[in-house]
Amino acid sequence: MKRLLLASLFLTTLLFASCIKDELPNNECDILSAWVEGEEYESFFYQTTQMRIDNIPSNSTEIVFQVRTKTGLPPIPVYFALTPGATIEPANGSLQDFSDGPVTYIVTSEDDAWCRIYRVDFQEASSSASSHFRFEHVAVDTFTNGSTYHIFYEIEDNIRRNIWASGNAGVAILHGDWTPAQFPTHSTDNGYQGKGVCLNTQSTGAWGAAFGKPIAAGNLFLGRFNVNAVLTDALKATEFGIPTSQQPVKVSGWYKYTPGDTFTDASMQPVPGRVDQGHIYAVFYRNHDAQGNPVVLYGDNVLSSDLIVSKAELVPAATDQWTHFEITLEGGSADPAILAAMGYSYTVVFSSSKDGDTFEGAVGSTLYVDEVTVEFQAN
Amino acid sequence: MKNHLSFHSLSLPFTSFHSILILSLFTFHLSPFTSSAQDITVRAGYNIGGTAPLPLPASIRSIDAFRPTFSPCIGADFQFSIFNFQFSAGLHLENKGMDIDATVKSYHMEMTKGTSHISGLFTGHISQQVTQWMLTVPVSFIIHHSTFNIKFGPYFSLLLSKEFSGIASDGYLRQGDPTGPRIEIGNKEGEWATYDFSDEMRSLQWGLGVGLDWRFSRHAGLSVDLHWGLSGIFNSDFKTVEQPLYPIYGSIGLFYNL
Repeated sequence: MKRLLLASLFLTTLLFASCIKDELPNNECDILSAWVEGEEYESFFYQTTQMRIDNIPSNSTEIVFQVRTKTGLPPIPVYFALTPGATIEPANGSLQDFSDGPVTYIVTSEDDAWCRIYRVDFQEASSSASSHFRFEHVAVDTFTNGSTYHIFYEIEDNIRRNIWASGNAGVAILHGDWTPAQFPTHSTDNGYQGKGVCLNTQSTGAWGAAFGKPIAAGNLFLGRFNVNAVLTDALKATEFGIPTSQQPVKVSGWYKYTPGDTFTDASMQPVPGRVDQGHIYAVFYRNHDAQGNPVVLYGDNVLSSDLIVSKAELVPAATDQWTHFEITLEGGSADPAILAAMGYSYTVVFSSSKDGDTFEGAVGSTLYVDEVTVEFQAN
Repeated sequence: MKNHLSFHSLSLPFTSFHSILILSLFTFHLSPFTSSAQDITVRAGYNIGGTAPLPLPASIRSIDAFRPTFSPCIGADFQFSIFNFQFSAGLHLENKGMDIDATVKSYHMEMTKGTSHISGLFTGHISQQVTQWMLTVPVSFIIHHSTFNIKFGPYFSLLLSKEFSGIASDGYLRQGDPTGPRIEIGNKEGEWATYDFSDEMRSLQWGLGVGLDWRFSRHAGLSVDLHWGLSGIFNSDFKTVEQPLYPIYGSIGLFYNL
């Protein structure tokens, strides 16, 4: 009897298995990596590792190569690694003229049914002696499910630089009908001067809790947010740092902070007696490791990595009046030659819940930030 | 007394339906139409099969594991004749379970919890359990040939306890459409996505059954059956799973004529 049973089990599996249809062609159309090949172009880059951009997040539509100068930039061939079977127009590796701005590429899926539009650009690296961030430039990004949220950017030499990132895209996954003011990171008209930034810790609802991520802190940082890893490794979704050719020494600005009413742990259990805190910090680090591989710092090591050269942290005291803050980076000095080659990166980070990345905090904690200035070491 | 099995509207609560059913079958036994000496057959068997979309969509790339579940079937059938044609009707208590692992590519899924929902195309690994305990009334036309009885006819099932749940893991979800954000789904609790559509399952199923009874002794025998579901297991307004899933089960068992 048992043999008969096993035989039936086997036959049933075979029956289902024999009904498997042929695989359909791929329907995805992403650019996974982009790079420039050729010794003749190396002089335009600070580092040869900057000739290659890997791990392009699925929510990116812009690919930017940092160059020393655009003066005399010839037509450059850009190569792409695409979703298997996808095609790209203009052709992969074709010479394109980037002197007047970005070039638009269209990637079409293997099954011809879907396409994505990317903009590829070459930008001169920023070179100001100090940076004033006033947060007046706000754009609205539309997520695939229709929700809209704010993106902060800077304008320098008439070029828009998307150097600010937040966790909004991660929250957008769960809320298809939200508008900008509902997101943890959004613009406010009531800044210290003009517009400012409002960071607000929120509950992510039943779904967020199901994934073990019951709250989302409002955050804003110099770097990139990679939505791919938001469920599997939330700490890796925040990529901190932008390359710089100058060493930051001081970060100052204006803030207001109000902690939320009830502090909860990662299981959403209230923790009596604990009050939420905001977090403002700046980190300056070496962006290549000893083997010469490019490095970016993530949520799990941005304050602890061996590659950090100097850093500063502040837990701002709760106040409902605009209050000035100033933090001075402590640590070592950059090697001038490496610095000139943009071998260092720096980040400034604001968060409405200090331990929000491990999902501990109080829903409702709010940090306002505006008129931030970063002072660099004079050369 | 006119004999017929009547099925009232589908919204009848279980207990009334049960009573009417038992009463109808009891009436059969006492009916003057019954002429066969072997009125009652008791059966015990094992169900094996699954709930499947037909045809299997191309998004299902492979069946990686198919594990046996506790899916017994016990019951009793009553045989009777009408105008020299042999029929049987019965009442069975059974579970049609399924425990399966599959690899899917770009399979449409929607997961809702509270007011938030995530929908999109999932590529990765699915581990799924289905449990369907039910009371089934099979009605069959019988063709008798020496020690064999060939049975053919519809069956009707009332679900007593149902479950349809699973885990999507080791892959990614393209939210919305293939150009949407690609969200990695991990292989550990907290990183994978669970789903549970048990509440969306219908309470009634029906289909066609065909079977063979082989009597190897005076009273006992072996039976082999195929029950092919013709109604999908989910409510018609449930659109998350792309296609209707049909329960298709074979069963093997023993019977004993009383």
